[in-house]
Amino acid sequence: MLRPVKMSRVVVAGSKDIIEPVIEKLHEIRLLHIVNFDGSEPGFDLGKPIGKAKEYSEDLIKLRSMSRYLNIKVKAPEKTYPESQVQSEMDNLLNSVSSNVIASYERIAEIVTEIKLKQDQIKGIKPLAVLPLQLEAYYGYDSLAVFVGTATSAVDADVAKVSSVNEVYSAGTKAGTVVAVFVPIEKASEVSSVLAEHGFSEISVPRIEGSVDSAMAALEAGIKNLENEKAPLQKKLADTKKQYENLILATDEYLSIETQKTEAPLRFAETTNAFVIDGWVPSDQFNRLKSDLESAAGGKVDVQLIDEKEAEHLVERGEDVPTKIENASISRPYELITRLFAIPEYKEFDPTLLVFIFFPIMFGMILGDMGYGITILVVLLALKRKFRTPGWQQLINLVILASIWSVIFGFLFGEIFGPLGLWGPIFGNLPEASIIKLEEEGMFFGEGVYGSLGRVGPLECFPLYRLATNAVLLLIGVSLYIGVIHTGLGSILGIKTELNYGEKKHAYFERLPVLLFQVSFALLLLALVVANWNLVLAGIAVIVISLVMMVIGPEGVMGATHVPFYVSNLISYLRLLAIGLASIGLAFAANQLAFYVIMPMLSGGATNSAEFTTVAIVVGIIVLVLVHFINLLLGILSPFMHPLRLHYVEMFTKFYSAHGGGVEYSPFGHVRRYLKV
Amino acid sequence: MAVETITDGGILYGLIAVGAGLATGLAGIGAGVGEQGIGAAVVGVVAEEPGFLGKGLFLMLLPETLIIFGLAVSLILMFAWTPFLV
Repeated sequence: MLRPVKMSRVVVAGSKDIIEPVIEKLHEIRLLHIVNFDGSEPGFDLGKPIGKAKEYSEDLIKLRSMSRYLNIKVKAPEKTYPESQVQSEMDNLLNSVSSNVIASYERIAEIVTEIKLKQDQIKGIKPLAVLPLQLEAYYGYDSLAVFVGTATSAVDADVAKVSSVNEVYSAGTKAGTVVAVFVPIEKASEVSSVLAEHGFSEISVPRIEGSVDSAMAALEAGIKNLENEKAPLQKKLADTKKQYENLILATDEYLSIETQKTEAPLRFAETTNAFVIDGWVPSDQFNRLKSDLESAAGGKVDVQLIDEKEAEHLVERGEDVPTKIENASISRPYELITRLFAIPEYKEFDPTLLVFIFFPIMFGMILGDMGYGITILVVLLALKRKFRTPGWQQLINLVILASIWSVIFGFLFGEIFGPLGLWGPIFGNLPEASIIKLEEEGMFFGEGVYGSLGRVGPLECFPLYRLATNAVLLLIGVSLYIGVIHTGLGSILGIKTELNYGEKKHAYFERLPVLLFQVSFALLLLALVVANWNLVLAGIAVIVISLVMMVIGPEGVMGATHVPFYVSNLISYLRLLAIGLASIGLAFAANQLAFYVIMPMLSGGATNSAEFTTVAIVVGIIVLVLVHFINLLLGILSPFMHPLRLHYVEMFTKFYSAHGGGVEYSPFGHVRRYLKV
Repeated sequence: MAVETITDGGILYGLIAVGAGLATGLAGIGAGVGEQGIGAAVVGVVAEEPGFLGKGLFLMLLPETLIIFGLAVSLILMFAWTPFLV
């Protein structure tokens, strides 16, 4: 499961008269990842499309423009159609329905433009209502220049100074003075600069006749008429969408499939009478491919397996082996995290299984609260019914598993909506005297108990109160060692990856010393804590050996300069503890604020919960819910992002994508969603 | 009296707490400054090329370790050293 599926290189060759059944069969069985022919082989040409390729792609363009007009989006299929029904209804759909849709859509677009135009005109003439002129008086002069607009102050006196012949109309409004200035055309530029001094801004008067009021009434009536025309058209489009949406999606799929089939020969190599298809197939499926193709072509096709040596030679010449990652259904959601980073190359490891193991545990360890865990679980189970697309389902399944771990860790940490939240009332606490005794002995790990079981585990540390000094120290150690295991597994995969590529020097002198260094560094810390001096010496010795190995390695002395990075890798895992503490802090503050500050304060300084007033309890609960809600939102985000980083930065860098991303296996064919299979 | 106050464990504890706060706070500022430039660039790239999200996230999360260093120092100060002082 950690490796991509083993692939084999195959060549399919046959005479051209059986090309159609071969393509049909290849499309149906969806096994062959076709390697596109690049035209470099002498004696071969690129293939040509077969059948009605041009027709299909034209139909597809027509259909897609219609679905754009109808605003049809890809969605989860509600209904599937048999191919024969799609074929028989396609003509009607692409001709009469399509032209109706296009006509309605274009008319709506026209109406929208016209309405916009009329609205602009109304905006233009509205201020002119205060002037005593008909609209036709504003335009159509040969010898007069007309300035219509708003000014910040009275303009008549200054206009008279530059042009003795003039006609000025003005009226004050809330927005400023509206002016209309008529002067001989030869004075236009001088008057224009005078007006500019008065903060003049021009209004463009539309060419309409009559009084301003009647023109506005006519425009508004026009807009209303257009709106009345638009509404039924929009309804018609909505009805068409409702009626044909599923059929259009099915037809789109049908046409895509047909286009894919008819254009497939563009990816093949051809001679005058024969064709050759190169491709990769999962090794265990080769026999099925061979027998299916041979029966489809009546034995007139040759399906050859290329032996590994020759395939290796092709890869060296630049051909990519497609990567088919395969995981058990429970760990499949975690492919999302792998894919977000990169598709592994064929010779690399697929880390999904490791992500599946570590990611939810890290999420749970950070969040670690039964209350929050169960809340997230319930919300996600509700969302799972609502969001049915594969992408959402994958994400939701991913977080569901993580939230189950956070319930488990919540049980270990004794947290239900914060430390000392609901735990005490439900499961009980230690008596006060034994808490004080434990604190004096320095053995205090928390005051919660598991009902009649009391406290359990080594040093009776569970339920572990994460804010207690002892617990913090314990968790620092646990986080670091999770880091050692996590990065260690990464390094081991790194060594194996380098060996897969035949890079022995990189494997033993670049990857191995990192593993040695990190493990012995952690051992050294442990030895210092328990003061075992023999172990300290052993740790130092291994560290020195690993440093020497790094220096011998391919990067030379530069290799050893990465050491601070390897140390910081391990320290980075402290975030497993740290982010958790931040979230507990907020939950703790919420509980304290509600029960020890707001409720007593609003009850007039009551010290006993029995004396709390109703108002105080209601306000307290509102604050409680609000702060916990915010904490929960943060509590989904940061426990998600930080383990993600631990995987991407700390683990994946040890082995993954050092050789560039791989090509995903995408076999020739199409998954039918809207068509009946 | 004055001499007694200076050697008081309470003041030492206070100074340790201030030091711990500074360690986390300043490291946080450092990480923030580092991340802001990367974050802006990543958002820009992802707007153009959504497939870059994973690698962008990887780059953006790199400076996050800085604050963990600060936090580690704080934790050591607050939890690992204080018991020896009292």
